[in-house]
Amino acid sequence: MLKGFGNFLLKELKELIRDPKILLGMIVLPLIMFPVIGGIMTYSIQSAQEKAQKTPLLVLNNDGGKWSENFTNFLKPWMNVSVVNNTTPEEAVAQGLLSKYNTTQFIEIPSGFSANLTEHEEGNLNITATVNLYGVFSGGGLLESVGSTVIDNLIYSFNREKAPDLVNSVKSSIIKGNIAEHVDPSTLSGLMLSQAIALPITIMILLTYSMQIAATSVAMEKEEKTLETLLTLPMDRLAILMGKLSSSILVAGIGALAYMIGYNYMLGSITTGISTGTSIDLASLGLVPSLFGYLLLGISLFVTLLSALALAVIISAFSEDVRGAQSLIGYIYPLIFIPSFALMYLDVNTLPLALRIVFYAIPYSHPILASKAVIMGDYWTAILGIIYVTAFTIVVMYAASRLFATEKILTAKLKFRWLRKRSKKPAAELQ
Amino acid sequence: MSFAVEVLDVVKVFGDVRALDSLSFSVKQGEIFGLIGPNGAGKTTALRVVSTLLLPTSGTVKIFGLDVVQEAAKVRKIISYLPEEAGAYRNLSGWEYLEFMARFNTKNRNETREMANEAAEITGLGERLKDKTKVYSKGMKRRLLVARALMNKPKLAILDEPTSGLDVLHAYHVREIIKRYVEEHGVTVLLSSHNMLEVEHLCDRVALLNKGKIVAEGKPQELKEKFGSTNLEEVFAKVVGLA
Repeated sequence: MLKGFGNFLLKELKELIRDPKILLGMIVLPLIMFPVIGGIMTYSIQSAQEKAQKTPLLVLNNDGGKWSENFTNFLKPWMNVSVVNNTTPEEAVAQGLLSKYNTTQFIEIPSGFSANLTEHEEGNLNITATVNLYGVFSGGGLLESVGSTVIDNLIYSFNREKAPDLVNSVKSSIIKGNIAEHVDPSTLSGLMLSQAIALPITIMILLTYSMQIAATSVAMEKEEKTLETLLTLPMDRLAILMGKLSSSILVAGIGALAYMIGYNYMLGSITTGISTGTSIDLASLGLVPSLFGYLLLGISLFVTLLSALALAVIISAFSEDVRGAQSLIGYIYPLIFIPSFALMYLDVNTLPLALRIVFYAIPYSHPILASKAVIMGDYWTAILGIIYVTAFTIVVMYAASRLFATEKILTAKLKFRWLRKRSKKPAAELQ
Repeated sequence: MSFAVEVLDVVKVFGDVRALDSLSFSVKQGEIFGLIGPNGAGKTTALRVVSTLLLPTSGTVKIFGLDVVQEAAKVRKIISYLPEEAGAYRNLSGWEYLEFMARFNTKNRNETREMANEAAEITGLGERLKDKTKVYSKGMKRRLLVARALMNKPKLAILDEPTSGLDVLHAYHVREIIKRYVEEHGVTVLLSSHNMLEVEHLCDRVALLNKGKIVAEGKPQELKEKFGSTNLEEVFAKVVGLA
């Protein structure tokens, strides 16, 4: 047996657990963070389902027979149905009927629907009918397909009532105002999702790595006692701050690039396998960012990175050593992880208003929001995000520069008085 | 007479602690002035205020007529500060460290090289300057840092416990370097130490600090005569009422 191991292990555990920064950062935060993510997702799915049921459904009745009326009447108790006769899907989109009826989806009952079902009813069981489902594709997310799932369930119920496989549905997407025939929005979401996961993960890793680098860099100056010397040198103190931020960005950028190359290679090898089974080409559907979109995305990422680094520098100034700085940085991680994980699956527009405000308020959400927005050609979301994060960055950078300009950079310490008070109580009682 | 350092009625408060309590002293140009006292007396705080690291809560400090609060950037151009527990950058070699520090004083490559060469000579580290500083002993690191503090021949060198952690021989070596720089280059030195015997041999004048206040000030010999003591340690004990 290792002599002295138990005694040493006990000392190590005491030292680690008694450090309030580690206790909060490593144990309490994850216990809060993951239930919060789970709660957001459950709540969002429930509210999306409720919303989908309340959302108006436009029915384009191009059949006019008794079965089309029968089918429409079946839908009415479940959804807020509006019927428009003798209008093709192309005309419906061109005439702006979707916005007129405040909906994102419609069903076309094609001509011949009733004739087919009548033949089926008369004994020709091989003949069935088809309805065409059209849904607006708005950028991917787990909840993108909730609306069409509700309609699928209703068609299934209709079939159960009448006859198995009586009515089938063919799904198509409306992308940026154009109809993409036979492109199922949920399949498209799935495909976009696999691509949309890469960026949030890369952003998450880029932000956490760079924050660690920046925090460690400041904390090392304190731990190695080089900061005092540095602060008395004939140099601009802002240059110290900018030097730390720039070097962190460069190192983190190189790390992120290496990560992105590796990750994209991995993802590419997976999607290559998938693409053999599907004929969806995202580029031809206009679902890849334009050059301007890429530029906005880059700017969004850069300002977010800068704000994260400046925040890391400020936070690390409150620690005395590297371990303390890394623990303190841990408090910021939920603000990076929650939007990254949540926005991988959720479309922010389908979230309840309160949650939407929370996501928009977190600066680290914006590169992810921008990545989805620029694909859909929604440049204003990206631009407003950049303006917001830039304003946030200016505030944080100003605070960081003030910190470096004063003695606070040396004397600032974060105190956990409430924890200390609690641990001091027994000693006070002994006295 | 113009003073290199003028500290007037300086108070520094940290929360509930009054680290400096109406501290006043002055250092003449070309002088080695020692602040001595036990741990916690306020020596480091005083040096940090003089070197523009900390702001005085009240009172004024002037370095060659420049106010450390109002003209901090100008002050930093003429001083050099050696903190007590200073370190060097772990992943830089000793030589790289000296060059890095020299570049803050001059943009001329030749001058940078000359400055680093001079510092290299002071350190006496020879070929070891090519090694990363993380492998240096405490003594080697201190010699490197003292050399760094003196290599640009500052008008005022502020040295907090310059021989801290050094053995007898290395401490002697550092003291000789300090004396040489004062004589040859007219550098003024303000230093602190809790080693009163060491300071007695190095400083032209000393101030005895206790609880943030100066309790005695003068030339070491004068103080010993005044208090009838054989060394400054005894002087200090008598002043604070321990003997």
